[in-house]
This record gives sequence, structure tokens and C-alpha cells, in this order.
Amino acid sequence: MPQSAPKAAVLLEAAVKYLESELMPTLDGYYRFQTRVTVNVLNTVRRELELRGAQAEAEHSRLVAILGHDGEVEALSVELAEKIRAGSISIDDPSLRAHVRQSLADALAINNPKWMTR
Amino acid sequence: MTNEDFSARLQAAIARHVGAPGTIHDLNRLTGGANKTTWSFDADVAGAREQFILQLASPRANDESNPLAGVSPHLIADEDARLMIAAVKAGVPAPRVRAILKDDDGLGPGYVTERVAGETLATKILREERFAAARATMAKQCGTILAAIHRIPVAEVPFLMKLTPLEHIAAQRRIIEFYGFHSPALELGLKWAEQHAPRNSRHTVVHGDFRAGNFIVGEEGIRCVLDWEIGQSGDPMQDLGWVCVKTWRFGGKKPVGGFGTREDLFEAYEKASGHSVDPAHVRFWEAYGSVRWGIGCFSMGTRGTEEVGIERCAIGRRVEEPLWDFLNLIEGRD
Repeated sequence: MPQSAPKAAVLLEAAVKYLESELMPTLDGYYRFQTRVTVNVLNTVRRELELRGAQAEAEHSRLVAILGHDGEVEALSVELAEKIRAGSISIDDPSLRAHVRQSLADALAINNPKWMTR
Repeated sequence: MTNEDFSARLQAAIARHVGAPGTIHDLNRLTGGANKTTWSFDADVAGAREQFILQLASPRANDESNPLAGVSPHLIADEDARLMIAAVKAGVPAPRVRAILKDDDGLGPGYVTERVAGETLATKILREERFAAARATMAKQCGTILAAIHRIPVAEVPFLMKLTPLEHIAAQRRIIEFYGFHSPALELGLKWAEQHAPRNSRHTVVHGDFRAGNFIVGEEGIRCVLDWEIGQSGDPMQDLGWVCVKTWRFGGKKPVGGFGTREDLFEAYEKASGHSVDPAHVRFWEAYGSVRWGIGCFSMGTRGTEEVGIERCAIGRRVEEPLWDFLNLIEGRD
């Protein structure tokens, strides 16, 4: 089935635009703050739709290289977490450090891009 | 309970514990958190009108069915009040407790403190010109106040949970195990903490949440230290590290709460306590504190979906911020 239109990203953009430029100016206090948080959450979803696909592919390749076998990206990540806990991979391992740094940078690019430059 | 009932019960409690007639004025709900509700009010007491704060614990806060109850420190209202009383006695600018509520006051567990005027919003304190003199002195004040907190005799507050650094880390592990949160970054953080935990620290009363946002500030500096409910006993350097965690700088550039230098903090602490401060020891607590805050964000976000709505959900998406700071700290990139 062809993808419905408008695309999800466009729907989100329209929702954010309404909340920010029409609704928020009419609000103050608690409701204004909650609406600001809602706008931020919708923008996070928009960035996730845009970025996560490519991020997950790269994450998968890094995990396969570290663990030495294939699998679903989530399962591989859980396996890596367990290996760190068990001590079977050193936390000083440069490829582990590089992987964790890149994964955190990827997540921040979705959740709060400004954090990395402050 | 209607507003009238509530106000009448509060008046009776004030008359009973503080002084008659206890007539209530300007009763306003300030915040309603997951653990407690805060009210502001004035009352007529022995011929004078006084300003008060009422803190009421939410029933859920002491729920014994909570599977994580007792894993990490959390004081019940009565203990929270007794810790603040001991703190004031030790010279700490903590809220002055005027009443600890009894069961038959009919308001649930809680306490009444004197209300202190001032600003708590860290972003305002960091940016507004009128707080310039306060900002210049607050890091030193933090050192002096922490020295006083760490002088509170542990025997006066025997209900505090005792945690060595390694026990502290083990408690965080139990929290992520409970939620089934498997993250390489978090595991790296906890493993690093286990490998670098101080083995020979002192053991004192620890505030546990001593940071910007929990200070009432006036133009002259810190007037009062709030939020004692995760008070505990353990390594005092925990408090010095926590106040430096980047999240609590609220966008400010300086390491202590965004407003001051580590040198000022350490120097004032050493002078007031007589104990020398090892910056590397404090740095451990700043780094591990970042990991701990990452876990805090995760567990708040996870509970948020069914309990407190969008704000908590959004906090769940802040897990990576302190973990990023942690990695930069241990790699010397901060």
C-alpha cells in the first residue's frame, strides 16, 4: 500500500505550528508550560522519525563488529550491556567507548540536540 | 475533604501545635508532586500574623506495596521534619519546623515550617542582575553550609539510611534491574563507579539533593536549603559532587551550580569543617552523580506514562544528557 499523505512528519509539523503560534499565546502559567513540553515532545518524535533509521543501521554495524555476530539491534544492545556488567568486555575498550559515545550523541540528536554544545 | 474542611482542620492543627487562634489566611497550593503537596498560608498565632509552609505527603509516598521501597533513601514526613530540626540545631539554614502533624489532626502525614521569602528558580538566580552579589558568594556559602550539615550528629537522626559508596551504587543497580533497563552507557557508568568508588571515606549525615533549585536565595545569598526527604548517611563528598553535576548548572558556565568555582566551594568547606577536600574524590561523586541522575530520569519517565503525564514522559527522554556529561568527565573532556 502506498504511504498515506500528508506524511507523518508533515502532520507533526502542522500540530507543532498550531500549538506554538496559535494556542500558546492564549495561555499562561501551568497550561503554557505543559503546552511547551508537548511541543518539545512532538519535535522529539519528528526528529526520531527523521534520524533513527540511519542511526539504527550504523548502531547495528558497530554492535556486530564488537560482539562478533549478527542479530536484531535491540537484542545486540542488551547483550552488550550484559557483557559490560559481567566484566567480559572492559569499560576501557576503545571500540566500546567509541560505540557508547556515538550512541549517546545519536540519542541527543533526537532528544535534545542543544545539550552537546552547551 | 472540601476546601472548608481542609482549612478548618489546618486551623485546629495550628491552634493545637503552634498557638491559638490559628485563623488561616491566603491558603494556596504551590505544587503537587508525586510524593508531596506544598501549601503556603498565613495564620494568626498569639496575636501576630505569621507566614508558613505546609507539606503533606501523598498517600502513595509511603505505599508498602512499592517494590522499590527501602532500596534507596526516602524519609517519611516525620523523619524529614526531625532531620530539619537537627539541621537547624547544627547551624544549617534549613526550614524551621513549627509543627509535625499527628494522625488525629486529620490531614495525613506532614509538617508545618516557617515560610522564607526569596527565589528558588535557578534560571532566574543565574540571570537576574539583582542576584549578582548572591552569585559571587554562593559557592563559598555552599561550602560553609555543607560543613554544618556534615556536623549533624548521626546519632540524632538514627532513622537515616546508611550507605557506603558501594552500597549506593548497588541500590542504583537494583532500580535498573527492577525496570529491566539494559543500556550499554548506563552499565559502563555503573561499572566505572564500582571500580572507582572511594574505599576510605568519612561517614556523616548527607543531604542527598543539595543543589541549585533547592535553595531559597535572596539578594545577599542562600537563605534556606530545602528538600531534605532523601537525606541519608554516607560519604560527605557526595554532596560536594552533586552540587557540581552539569544538569544542576541550569545552563550556567561555572561548575558549582552554574554560579561559582570549585576552589571557592572547597576552600570554604575546608575552613568550616577542618577536613581537607580531595578534588578527585569529589569528581568521583560528580561523575557517578551524573549516572545516578540518568537513572532518575529513566525511572521518572517510566512511571510517568501511567501516573503524571507528559512532563514526566519528557524527563524520560533526558537520560542521555547526564550520561553524555559522565563520559566527558571520565575522559577529561569537560
